Amino acid sequence: MALYPDYPIRTERLTLRPFTRGDVDAVYAYRRREDVARYLFDVALSREECALAVQQRIGQVALEGDGDKIILAVELNQIASVIGEVSLILRSADARQGEVGWIFDPDYQGQGYATEAATALLDIAFGPGDLHRVSARCDVRNGSSWRLMERLGMRREAHFREHALFKGEWDEEFVYAMLRREWLGRRN
Amino acid sequence: MTSLILPIHTDRLTLRTFERGDIDGLCAYHALPSVQRYVFSRTRDRGEIAGALKIMREHVSLQRPGDTLTLAVIRKGDQALVGHVALLWADATAGQGEVRFVVNPAHAGQGYAGEALAALFDLAFDHFRIHRVFARSDGRNHHSIKLMQRLGMRLEAHYREHALFQGEWDEELHFAILDREWQRSTKVRDLPIRHRVA
Repeated sequence: MALYPDYPIRTERLTLRPFTRGDVDAVYAYRRREDVARYLFDVALSREECALAVQQRIGQVALEGDGDKIILAVELNQIASVIGEVSLILRSADARQGEVGWIFDPDYQGQGYATEAATALLDIAFGPGDLHRVSARCDVRNGSSWRLMERLGMRREAHFREHALFKGEWDEEFVYAMLRREWLGRRN
Repeated sequence: MTSLILPIHTDRLTLRTFERGDIDGLCAYHALPSVQRYVFSRTRDRGEIAGALKIMREHVSLQRPGDTLTLAVIRKGDQALVGHVALLWADATAGQGEVRFVVNPAHAGQGYAGEALAALFDLAFDHFRIHRVFARSDGRNHHSIKLMQRLGMRLEAHYREHALFQGEWDEELHFAILDREWQRSTKVRDLPIRHRVA
């Protein structure tokens, strides 16, 4: 499979588009925060590290082979600024498996922006992406993330305990997933 | 870690590394469709089973992550090979191990797999100092699922259509148990009546 979405992707209040060099300050505003980094693999980023992260994302706009990523800046139209990102990783082209993820600026939480952006991403994943199953995972303590997965209609498929070390402590992780027919059923 | 002492004896079984002479016993079950349905190593005939045996004969200890210890499960008395169990050292820093097992269907239903796995859990937790042991099972393999539950493992994951396995959508369960959750079989033997407090 190959997926090259048409950008930008517009929703009611948001624009999902590839990252550009001008996004570094907006990304730094939330990626520098400890409360944002807590459940990410990265630690809180310096401005230089943010510039590098943005640079990497600029080219992550299409899926061709296993491991490819689409990472899109989520811009809030009202303020014309980036408030977070959504990602779609192709885990297996053969079995049509993908994984979604997101990072949002806590200053804009609680208004349904993440749900709106993730819904648009799942429409791409199951629509033109033709994926069979999409999963997502997060730390058990990251309630705002797994509650978003539940709002999207994803099922909790796994609850791993002490299966790995994460930042020097035992990790506890949820995996959520949904199948193509479940998503289409919700959207029709 | 002290050196690994094999064979391991349980009430009815001996667990030892595989030997060249196990080929006939292995041929009795390894290529059966009911076994092949759920295993990762596909074998169709005696030649392929001999290849699998050669690999399993090298699985004699866990020295580094990625290593596998595979033990033949021998019934005391008639010395019949009733199946095999394996422990894979999946991750060293986080102390993760995976168990796999196969029982000759001709010897199923007599609790041999449970008895062998209990001994393997003792080995994993006591000898290899593993923190968490997990096992994966096909969603249709009800015997395996019941056995995992009987051993006190928790269902941690139920993946639906997450991969293709042998050309079909796969449904996979993960069971796991932590070292502190495992009741070591050697330590829960009943005390003689005169030592009981209640």
